[in-house]
Amino acid sequence: MLAWHMVVIAQERFPRPEFETDYTYPEYQLPAARHAAWEYIDTGVLILVLSVTTWLALKKRSRQGLVWISLFSLGYFGFFREGCICSVGSVQNVALALFNDGYSIPLTALLFFIIPLVYALFAGRVFCAGACPLGAIQELTGIWPKKLPRAVEATLATIPFIYLALAVLFSATQSQFIICRYDPFVGIFRLNAPYTMIIFGALLLLAGIFINRPYCRFLCPYGVLLNITSRFASRHLSITPAECINCRLCENACPYNAILPSDLEIKNEEPAVVRRKFITYLVLIPVFVVAGAVALYILSPGLSGANYDVKLAREIRLEMKEGIPAASNAAIAFKGSGRTDEQLFTAETEIIERYRKGGPWAGLFLGLSIGIGLFSLAIRTERTEYRPHKGKCYSCGRCFKYCPVKPKTEST
Amino acid sequence: MGMGNNKYQNRRDFVRKTGKILVAAPLVFIPAMLAKKIDAKGYVWQIDPLKCTTCGQCKTHCVLTPSAVKCTHKYEMCGYCDLCGGYLRQGVRTISTGAENQICPVGAIKRVFIEEPYFEYTIDEKLCDGCAKCVRGCLDFGNGSLYMQIRHDLCANCNECSIARACPSDAVSRVPVDAPYNIKDRIGPL
Amino acid sequence: MKPDEKDIRLLKFISQVAAGFTLVVALTMLFSLIQLKTIDPLDNPIVASVKEQYDRDPSNALLAEQVRAVDLMARKAYFSSRWQVETGSYLLLAGAVVFIICQRLIAGSKKIAHSRPGMQPDVPGQNKLAMNTLMFAGVVIFTAAIVSSFVLRSALPDTLSEKRLAAGEERESRASRRAVQSAPFVADPTNYPFFRGQDGRGIAGGEGYPTEWDGPAGINIKWKTEIPKYGKSSPVIWGDKIFVTGAEGKECEIYCIDKHTGDIIWTALVHDLPGEPDEIPEMDHDAGMAVSTVATNGSEVCAVFANGNLVCTDTDGRIKWSKNIGNPENIYGYASSLIIYENTLIVQFDSNEKISLMGFDAKSGELKWETPRQGYPSWSSPVIGTFDGQPQVLVNSNPNVTGFNPVTGAQLWAVEAMYGDVAPSCAVNSTMVYAVTDYAKLVAIQPGQPATVIWEDNMFTPDVSSPVANDDFLFLVTGYGDIACYNAQSGDTIWTRYLNEPFYASPIIADNLIYILDRSGVMHIVRAAEEFQLVAKSPIGERADCTPAFSDKEIYIRANTNLYCISESE
Repeated sequence: MLAWHMVVIAQERFPRPEFETDYTYPEYQLPAARHAAWEYIDTGVLILVLSVTTWLALKKRSRQGLVWISLFSLGYFGFFREGCICSVGSVQNVALALFNDGYSIPLTALLFFIIPLVYALFAGRVFCAGACPLGAIQELTGIWPKKLPRAVEATLATIPFIYLALAVLFSATQSQFIICRYDPFVGIFRLNAPYTMIIFGALLLLAGIFINRPYCRFLCPYGVLLNITSRFASRHLSITPAECINCRLCENACPYNAILPSDLEIKNEEPAVVRRKFITYLVLIPVFVVAGAVALYILSPGLSGANYDVKLAREIRLEMKEGIPAASNAAIAFKGSGRTDEQLFTAETEIIERYRKGGPWAGLFLGLSIGIGLFSLAIRTERTEYRPHKGKCYSCGRCFKYCPVKPKTEST
Repeated sequence: MGMGNNKYQNRRDFVRKTGKILVAAPLVFIPAMLAKKIDAKGYVWQIDPLKCTTCGQCKTHCVLTPSAVKCTHKYEMCGYCDLCGGYLRQGVRTISTGAENQICPVGAIKRVFIEEPYFEYTIDEKLCDGCAKCVRGCLDFGNGSLYMQIRHDLCANCNECSIARACPSDAVSRVPVDAPYNIKDRIGPL
Repeated sequence: MKPDEKDIRLLKFISQVAAGFTLVVALTMLFSLIQLKTIDPLDNPIVASVKEQYDRDPSNALLAEQVRAVDLMARKAYFSSRWQVETGSYLLLAGAVVFIICQRLIAGSKKIAHSRPGMQPDVPGQNKLAMNTLMFAGVVIFTAAIVSSFVLRSALPDTLSEKRLAAGEERESRASRRAVQSAPFVADPTNYPFFRGQDGRGIAGGEGYPTEWDGPAGINIKWKTEIPKYGKSSPVIWGDKIFVTGAEGKECEIYCIDKHTGDIIWTALVHDLPGEPDEIPEMDHDAGMAVSTVATNGSEVCAVFANGNLVCTDTDGRIKWSKNIGNPENIYGYASSLIIYENTLIVQFDSNEKISLMGFDAKSGELKWETPRQGYPSWSSPVIGTFDGQPQVLVNSNPNVTGFNPVTGAQLWAVEAMYGDVAPSCAVNSTMVYAVTDYAKLVAIQPGQPATVIWEDNMFTPDVSSPVANDDFLFLVTGYGDIACYNAQSGDTIWTRYLNEPFYASPIIADNLIYILDRSGVMHIVRAAEEFQLVAKSPIGERADCTPAFSDKEIYIRANTNLYCISESE
């Protein structure tokens, strides 16, 4: 049995027209992508801005200068380059490239990741002070700073560590880039975003009028890396241009609780107590590490739901098993894709396996951070002067004008 | 300083030095490990028209409003039909440019008579909002010459494209900057 | 440089105005943004409902006018809110910048109150508090991680294997329930009585069919016989006899061929029946009169030709009855094959004038029933399936896929699913009917009251050849050269291949292999399994469009001029 209708030999259903008039196909110009040179210009600007900021914060000690340079960064990296690429997000590119063979990292992403950390190693968090557009927009809107109670500050300050651990885990397993997805200010830089994004950004900025730099302090995952690196900085901004006279005038200058007071007047504890504390908290570090690793190992399959394939596989399995129709766009596309259920489930198992491998390391990092944090609080450090906490200080220079001491060079 | 407790001072210096080496090490090793994976040119996001299912999420999931995704026309594949599946709504009885017949909700497709029996269809990108309704129509009843592409003059080139994350058929992926478009040349998929 | 007090007051005033302005713009913008996102004017229900009204009455110019008006309004609303958002964002930025600059200037000019701080801060106490909160935070984080791991655990694949097993059992139990209701379909190893075999399902009985042959080289070719007259009908088999038709001009013939030797045992000539049209009906140039395949039940051999001549002979070639059932003239020419259910010969009649389904008494030729069908002429053939114990004749046509009672001719159900030219016949398994045609779609229908569409797809659509299904898989081959395997139950595409040769012959499943004959005469033999596996490619050496027949470990292929018997035992 056969029917004879038009057999379409080529793939096209309707033959290409043969025009009798001298019609020619319109020239179709697709706009080119942004020139690659911009990426290098960005890197150059970044280095320049960081150098200027370092000079302003460490040498010139000019708060006004720092404000202007962050205004420039906000304009350039924020509004002109529309917030992409940024160092904060580059963490994910690095994680993705480190753990996946199929992805090669753009050179600029790597440079944006490395350069601010290198500066932090030599001069503290100058990136936060002058180059980061996210920091700049918050610094400029932080008009009436109010201090937060220490307990609240300490609790909220753990969030960036969790955020970083999850962001690395998700990007290393090719699941998603949560830092970019929940970037609060990029919508403002582009003057265009889903309204949920805008509302989140606006709320953070409003809160930031009183609680300065809320994103930097309680969310920023890149800040964690800068914090750790900056603790070992060879040089750092100082509150006083010369010798600290312990006048205590700067005590309330820092909205970030990042000034370590001098402890000249504090009694020394008994050596036995000190030793006991030292040993207790040293032992606690591995306890936290193990607890973190175990907790995230258990949690990791649950987290794998952030992955596209795992999510899809769950939907398909629910349909297979409980008859709940898999009606999402992804499920419909999957059914039409020629990919078999088997392949999907194999992919799912592989990804969960990767989560199981990566999860404990993320937990280990969290446990180690908390353990070391506790340990460093427990051991007494002796300070004869008021100085910034190298990890927490954003080098914003607010404290400069609180110090009555004049630089030595000026007095001569 | 100046407390004269050299033992503590030395210990502290040791911790500080070790720490410095520990934090400096990744700054050397990470670039070294990635040396072979560095792509000097970078990439942009683009849609593979052969994977696209015209689900319409390009319109709704782009961080930009209107979306940076627009309909593109491969004229060389077009049949220049009078009864165009990408221009007319399914089941229309009369072929005219009336709004009641058009598939495009924003009227972004222009229909121009060329010669008997051919009509040229052009997309007005300023109006196009990337809903892909015409692409679906063209795939179902035509040669598939209409297809979706990300316009790089509009695209913010996010680190992770929101549309890529939402795309049900994994059709949005990174492509090299020097070949930023996936020009369609066959109806596919095979 | 430093602003004095008067300037400060002015700055304060400006910043307040800017703040108010920013706030108003922000709220307005937020409102229009939410509006744009939530009540998208383009997806407005009013637009949709007006369009729907118009679709129901497309000749109504008033309605068309209304669609245009509403559409224009919607577009205006859409573009103006887009404009609002764009302008608003610049206004907002400008307001915010003014506010911030003023505030910065004010802040910069503020003198630091060098008030003597109070008590020396309690550093150890603060440290202790910070340690406690940090410890507490750590414990909370790890507990939260463990707790949420249980929450997020649902639908994890750890239990996958069990679930698969359970799904398999469920399928089995469903199958066994069905088995109680009606005996499962088992194809006969010898008799291959209709187009696409027993019940027209495309499934051959028996096993051990050859996979390797070569027509031109004569490898595994038991015999070949030239069919005297041209035809596109496929061979059918009962016992030791093969029946096939051919025609030249108005001379239509039925041939009976010895299955073992290839000798033509008898020829029955059918012509000049009362009521027969004087002219050969118009048709596609290479169709001819002998397109429909013969149907036999072992005692009658029935054939129909493109001029409407319907004839039944006994197995020795004596005409039992013959009649003309009307001129089935249509654009491509009449093409539907016959099928017999018990004693009823079923004829799908599709002409420009009338489309219907007829049931004749196979022995006497008496018309027992005729059921008119709605729609347009089609070129498919009826297929028999049994659902919930009810045997049904299944017809694929434009626009309806329909199930009929084969004894009374009553329509049991219909699903409007097709359009355009419908040539492929239905595929059937124990639960579903599958219908497809090119430019339309593939639908899986569960027959019942009412019949429901379980899934559909439009990726692969044959124009001529029919799909074939068992309870696990649905296979189809297209005129473009694709082969696709679907999960018969869920509609998932399991695998697809592009074989680069157009297919007209319908695929047949025999002994868990799919035999797919392409138009150049090469048989592609593929395993009927989860994975694509090409077992062999065997050429017959002639162009071939007819569906092959299978009987007792031998395959019969009608190519353009010859009928071939393929046998491994040689």
